[in-house]
This record gives sequence, C-alpha cells and structure tokens, in this order.
Amino acid sequence: MEFKVAESQQEVEGEVVHSLSEGLVILKINRKEYRVRLLKSGTDEVEFIFENSFHHAKILRSNSSETTILLDGYPLTIKKHFRFADLIYKTLSSTVSVGNNNLTSQIPGRVVNIVLNAGSVVKAGDSVIILESMKMQVAIKAHKDGNIREIKVKQGTTVGRYDVVAIIE
Amino acid sequence: MGRVISSILIANRGEIALRIIRASKELGIKAIAVYSDEDARSLHVKRADEAYHIGPSAASESYLNTKKIIETATTAGADAIHPGYGFLSEDESFADTCEKKGIIFIGPNSKAMAVTGDKMKCKSLMRKANIPVIPGSDGIIDDVDKAESIARNIGYPVLLKSAFGGGGRGIRLVKDENQLRQEFEIAAAESKAAFGKAALYVEKGLERIRHIEFQLARDSAGNTRHLFERECSIQRRHQKLIEMSPSPVVSAETRQQIGEIAIKAAEIVNYLNAGTAEFLRDKEGNFYFIEINSRLQVEHPVTELVTGLDLVKLQISIAQGEEISFKQRDLKMHGCSIECRINAEDPFYDFAPSVGTVGQCNLPQGPGIRVDSYLYPGCTVSGYYDSLVAKIITWGQDPQEARSRMKNALREFSVEGISTTVPLHETIMNNDDFIRGDLSTDYLDRLNILDVMRREYRDMSKRNALVAIAAILLQSESIRRTGGDFSAMKKSARASSWKNLGRSGSGV
Repeated sequence: MEFKVAESQQEVEGEVVHSLSEGLVILKINRKEYRVRLLKSGTDEVEFIFENSFHHAKILRSNSSETTILLDGYPLTIKKHFRFADLIYKTLSSTVSVGNNNLTSQIPGRVVNIVLNAGSVVKAGDSVIILESMKMQVAIKAHKDGNIREIKVKQGTTVGRYDVVAIIE
Repeated sequence: MGRVISSILIANRGEIALRIIRASKELGIKAIAVYSDEDARSLHVKRADEAYHIGPSAASESYLNTKKIIETATTAGADAIHPGYGFLSEDESFADTCEKKGIIFIGPNSKAMAVTGDKMKCKSLMRKANIPVIPGSDGIIDDVDKAESIARNIGYPVLLKSAFGGGGRGIRLVKDENQLRQEFEIAAAESKAAFGKAALYVEKGLERIRHIEFQLARDSAGNTRHLFERECSIQRRHQKLIEMSPSPVVSAETRQQIGEIAIKAAEIVNYLNAGTAEFLRDKEGNFYFIEINSRLQVEHPVTELVTGLDLVKLQISIAQGEEISFKQRDLKMHGCSIECRINAEDPFYDFAPSVGTVGQCNLPQGPGIRVDSYLYPGCTVSGYYDSLVAKIITWGQDPQEARSRMKNALREFSVEGISTTVPLHETIMNNDDFIRGDLSTDYLDRLNILDVMRREYRDMSKRNALVAIAAILLQSESIRRTGGDFSAMKKSARASSWKNLGRSGSGV
C-alpha cells in the first residue's frame, strides 16, 4: 500500500509480509524487510520494537483516506492511497466546488463576537467569529471564499470542537 | 500582630493551589480548597483537607467572587486566605475585606497593594527616590497633544500603555507622530470602555530589552531581603514562557547593586510579605524599575531551587507576624535553575487553546527535576481558566546541567488528549542564542523561533516516517486479527471525543 506522511510530504510504500506467532511481524517498507516485535496491540494503540528502539503509537483519528497517530507523543498524519486520492481530488475540484460549506470550530469556546453576518461576502482567511477560550481570543476564519448563508451561533453561546458555526456558500 | 495560623483557605486552583496545600501540610496547617463546578474533580480538591464548592465554572462567579469566598472562609473557620497568583491576588479591596473580617490575607496589606497596583503612582514615588525608571510621562495622560509633546521630548519609538493594563495587555509601540495620533485614539477608547476613563501613559521604547526581576521578602518589623534575580526575557506576546536564575548577564556586583535598589523600592511602598521588583535592562546594561508585583509569582520555584528557601512557607511565617530569620549576607546562590511553563496550547497552530480530558500522562522525573502540575490521567483541562497546566523546573550546578536536565524532562513529558507548548520549549533548549544566554523580550521574533520549531518538527517527521508506517501497518494487522473493522470503529468513535490531540488543516 502507498502512504504519504502529511507533515514531511514523504511517500512510503509498506505492507505486512507475514504475521508470526509470539508477536513477531515481518513488514516490508520501501522494499526493505523489517522484523518487528509487537509488544502490545489494541484497536487504537500499539507498542513495538522497530530497529532496536521502543515505540508507542496511538490512533487519534482515522478514516478511509487518512489516519492521525500520536507517535511517541508527537502527532503525525498519514494519508493512505494518496495517489488515488489526489487524482479524485483533482478531478472533482475542476468541476465541483471544493469541500463542504460548513465552517467548523477547531476549539471549544464561548462566542464573544460575530464579526460577519449572514449575507456578507468572505474570502478564505477572513475572521467570521471570535471565540474566547482559556482567556485567549481566537478567530474562526473562513475556510473558503464565498457568501455567508447562515451564522449558526449567537453571542455568548458555547461551541464545542468541530461544531458547525456558519455556512459559507 | 502575631497570630498563629492553623487553617488556610486557598482562593485559587490548579498547580498553585497544590503548591500552597503542600506548604500548609508541611507546617501542620489545615488546607481548605475552594472549587467551581468545572473543578469538582480537580486535583486541588482531592489533595486538600477540606474542599468547598463556591459557584459556577466562570471565574467571575467563583474564584473572583469575593463575597462567596469570604463567606466560605468564615463558615470553614479559616484563619487565613492565600490568594495564589491571578484571580484575587492583587485585588486591594479583597485584601481590605479580609483585614476587616479578621482573616489574615497572606500577602501585602491593602495599603501597600493600593500603591503597587497604581503603576503610575508607584513609578513617580520611585522617581522621587532616585530609583531609575524609564523616561516618560509623569502621570496619566488623556490628551493626544500632550502625549505627542512628551514623545517628541524623549524621542521615538515610544510605548503607549494603559494605566490599568497588565500582563502586557494594552501596550502599543509607536514609531512616529502619525502613528501616535492613530493609536492614541484606539487606546483611549479601549481604556474608557474597560475602566471608564482614558488613562494612558507614554514611555520610551527601549531596544533589546531583558526582563530581570528581584524576589523580595519583607516582614512586619520592616526587615527586607532580596532573594536574587530571575531573568524572564523569553516571552510570547508579553507572557513569560521561560524563567531562570541567575540571569546570564547579572554579575555579583550588579546583583548587589540592583538588589539594594529593589529593597529600597519595597521600603518606599511599605511593602509586606513576598513580592517582586521588576526591572527592564536595555542593551547598554542600564536597569529601569518598572513595577512591584504584589503576589507570589508563577516563576517563584526557580528562586526556591537556587536559594534553598520555601517561599510559600516564608509567606505564611511573615503573615503570622514572624520576623525573617535570615540576614541578607546569609543568602547564597547555589547553582542554576530554569523553568519552562507548559501551556495547553497548540504551538503549531497559532497557540490555539487546547482543552479536553487528559488520557495517559507522564510527568518527568529524575535528578534536579521538579514538576508543579495539576495533571493526572483522567483530569480535565478546562477552557474557563488560564492555559498553564504544568511548570517544569530543573536545577543544575551550572546552566549547562540545568538545560540538559530540562531537555530530558521535556522529552519525558507526555500528555494525551491535549496539545502543549513542549515542542516550543524543546526548540528553545537547543537554540544557540539561548545556550549563549543572548536573550531579549523579542527573542521569539528576532530569531524566528517558531519557524525553527516547525522545521525541526518536519525533520523529525521525516526521520520517523518509517516508524509511523510500521505503526499503521501493525495496527491494521491487529484489527484484522482481532475481529474486523466494525468493533474497532465503534471503539474509536466512542473514544474520539477526548482523544483530540493533533492538528487540523482548516477552520480556526
């Protein structure tokens, strides 16, 4: 299978060659074989010895196209089948508008200011809503160019992570 | 004066509440915690001898609710209140209320606090006593023409500051007259909205500033000591990130000289208990007094590690009316200490606040390492309060050893469920200017430290690419062997709400 590490843009090929008993797994990564000792495995967590060093990985988020893991404490995002995904993305983007219309909050917080109202024209990166969290004010910025069709929150309301705060068409 | 304290109500939360609980218990004093709705499961509640609920999660209705806190202290029979830092710690009316109710406020009295809290008044007192202060307006300015004439006199660039700001809020750097006129209007409006009057002042903008402060202690008999300096020049948006003692640029001679000035400053305002005299040092090596912080500082542990003193216990003994037991000449500085403030913020994502439930967490250990933190597996990091979740403080014989230990500690620090500023600290610990001690308050911008951090992270991702792929393959293999995707997906969906570490490419 082909993978791509989002942070470093590296392309890596990898597959499971053999899964032996006693926690020994043979992996083939970039055409080289590795004998890996699997110490602990769960649906969202693995511990293993790779090239004589211990590693712990936790799956933070996963869907069919990418997985975000916490590897030894640091988050990394791995895309799967990236060539295929890139191809679809390119094909779609020429005909259909990219992504969805939902502007979501990446952090929980309280709405302290609504900068732009429904009907406003926005450019990607414009501040739409200001949240307060941990005594800091943080702007939720438009994820794309368009028109604001609806603001889904009111001043003073509390929003959670990934909540939809506005619709931009 | 002179009343033995047998119970203390701690009007705070988080790591500082724990710090005060520990000191109280050492002294055999009953530690009484207070908590908001959000903090019912917080560590300070678990560690205290008694804990009282004081209101809803919002700080304004709980940790800032003077009336409720005083009521609780009375109900619980507390002899004293320790305010920690932040919240009510520098609120003179709170200190005054405590005094009137016969509760000992562990800190300065309300009179001293009224002076130190008014920065303008404090500065002008110091100027009269020949303590060097930054050239600027002598008093509050509400008129733009007057501001302009002062600025022309002392020379641009100048800083435009709100008289009631704090922690770096309301400070504007102005390069010329035009900009001054524009910024003055905005700053005046802000000040008016927040405090009801346009209270601004103008002062000279210094270059390559270092923030160096002296720890002070003064008892009710008037004995005043300084506990040497801390350098706190590494800041982001005027918030301290890293503190150390000693400062790489303070010689024994300077230490004595500025230490004596700090003592004089404490005497001028008739200070009581622990406090901090803050100075700025310009690139020519001149020191300017800026203010006295009338509280226990976040960074007090670095002073504790180099002096061997316990500042909270010292505060309690002074509050009981005892005299400071050591002379200035008894104090020795031993080794070197560094503190890194670990905030629940994502350094790769414009320091966006990161809140949530903590999964596994590992706090560092080992020689010369101290961690003051309220984190435990399963605890909550709330958006209601500030983002400081841990302080890592290391001690070494010399700066090199303290720094190596800090690198170890940062590597060992791990907490699932939230993002922290640890990667930024790791980058700084490896930075040449930091190692040489070439610091200034614009350090992060001057050296593009955030870009360096991102580059290092990318390099690390590159080095770990193969391991990451191995992890993904092993995980998919274990799912395949233990019964398919369905159960795994269900489990991951259930758990995902708190496993929210990581960054997302769009949105905020």
